[in-house]
Amino acid sequence: MNERAGPAILAEGLVKHYAGREGTVEAVRGVDLEVSADEVFGFLGPNGAGKSTTVRMLTTLLTITSGRAEVAGVDVGADPDATRRKIGVALQEAGLDPRQTGRELLVLHGRLFGLSAQAATKRAQVLLELVEIEDAADRVTKGYSGGMKRRLDLAAALVHEPPVLFLDEPTTGLDPASRLTVWDELRRINAEGTTIFLTTQYLEEADQLCDRIAIIDDGLIVREGTPARLKADLRARRGGDQPVTLDEVFLDATGRTRARAAGEVQEVTA
Amino acid sequence: MSATLALGRRSLTEAIRQPDALFMTFFIPIFFLIVNTGQAAELFPSSSTDFLEGQGYGAFQLPITLLLAASFGMAALFLVEEIEGGYFDKLRAMPIPRYAMVMGRLIAEGVKCVTIASLIVLIALPFGITIASGLFGFVLLVGLTALWGVVYAGFMQLIALKTRSAAATNSGGLIFFPLLFLTPNFVPRDMLTEPMEVAATFNPVTYLMEAMRSLILDDLDWEKILPGFGVVAVLGVIMLVLNVRMIKRYD
Repeated sequence: MNERAGPAILAEGLVKHYAGREGTVEAVRGVDLEVSADEVFGFLGPNGAGKSTTVRMLTTLLTITSGRAEVAGVDVGADPDATRRKIGVALQEAGLDPRQTGRELLVLHGRLFGLSAQAATKRAQVLLELVEIEDAADRVTKGYSGGMKRRLDLAAALVHEPPVLFLDEPTTGLDPASRLTVWDELRRINAEGTTIFLTTQYLEEADQLCDRIAIIDDGLIVREGTPARLKADLRARRGGDQPVTLDEVFLDATGRTRARAAGEVQEVTA
Repeated sequence: MSATLALGRRSLTEAIRQPDALFMTFFIPIFFLIVNTGQAAELFPSSSTDFLEGQGYGAFQLPITLLLAASFGMAALFLVEEIEGGYFDKLRAMPIPRYAMVMGRLIAEGVKCVTIASLIVLIALPFGITIASGLFGFVLLVGLTALWGVVYAGFMQLIALKTRSAAATNSGGLIFFPLLFLTPNFVPRDMLTEPMEVAATFNPVTYLMEAMRSLILDDLDWEKILPGFGVVAVLGVIMLVLNVRMIKRYD
């Protein structure tokens, strides 16, 4: 699917400032990223570190204060519409229209991406079967469970078969079974050649799914590499043979103790 | 254009699937028509009240009923719900023209207003209210009501886009009171007290109401009708420009 020569996602000195009540908030302070085509890239960080802000800039939902970004070879700031054709987006909240049925929603999205009515209907059916909600396809989404909403949201992001998929905490709030279903789905989508950029709070999820990860803290990337590499680096720094988990890498990278990570949450929102 | 129509169709489905909201849009104006007419009809008997042009007081009250029905701004409340729920961002991440995101809802609001206004007029007919300007006048009356509904919903959408809050959007709807009631809604403008007459003269809705009233009570009197269309045209252009600008700068 990916025939591009360059990286699927490229960010250079990405900065986002907000005007807050107490002056300017520097949500992202110069993020550099390079994600290869066909990779599953995990983007981790504590609450308020700048994960969602970065995703929202890369997906054209937020303007970039300074720096530049390219997605699927398209300059995000210069040509947001072309960028939108190349990406699928599933944000933190499974953003669905509560008064549409699952099928109607997927057909509408197909139409909005330029498919004919017939093609959109066919594509909707394929996706409904793929995410296993065809039984509920003709019910309004208001009555869907959290897992069904997430899966439908994922299907909606795939309607136009985008080369790059952005998922902002796709499994937050799901029960373990639903989470495993979403993981399987992501592996399958990635195997078909889609680059996946994934933010998550669950380090096990990143460990299981991601080829590489980056950890952002206070608006800056503080670690980047494969999960195995990052764990090996920390083990080497500590010395000894004790195995290191990704949780420990995360805590080390963000300078947080377990207690502080659990108790200190500061959210920065758009 | 296809994105606008697809989003318009979705908004209509949304309205139909929330029948309680539609019912209130229809029921409250009818309630006020009955109550206002019941309270003041004896004061203004048709036989001796020149401004009624031979009709009952209900005909004089019909324009405010139609304007009330068109001033609920449900489109903005659905929009703010969508912003809070995250679906609006989902749409923003799609390659659809920004104007389509504004126009889709407004087209649906227009269709909804045409339906509700037609129903209200049809219900009024058996109670002795006639449209003196005939079938063409009826079309103009319903069209003017729908255009006002679109303009009003568009301004409410601006509040929704700016505040992103259901509570603030609801409060913004309070603007509806001065707009609809600082008008010659019970008597013609020249019978109002001076302060009220000044306020009504500066209120654009007055010209809309007078145009609608003229369509109901007179033959086609373009001197009264055109200012009404002029008001919705000017406000409509302002509303569209502001909406598209707001949605393009939405961050």
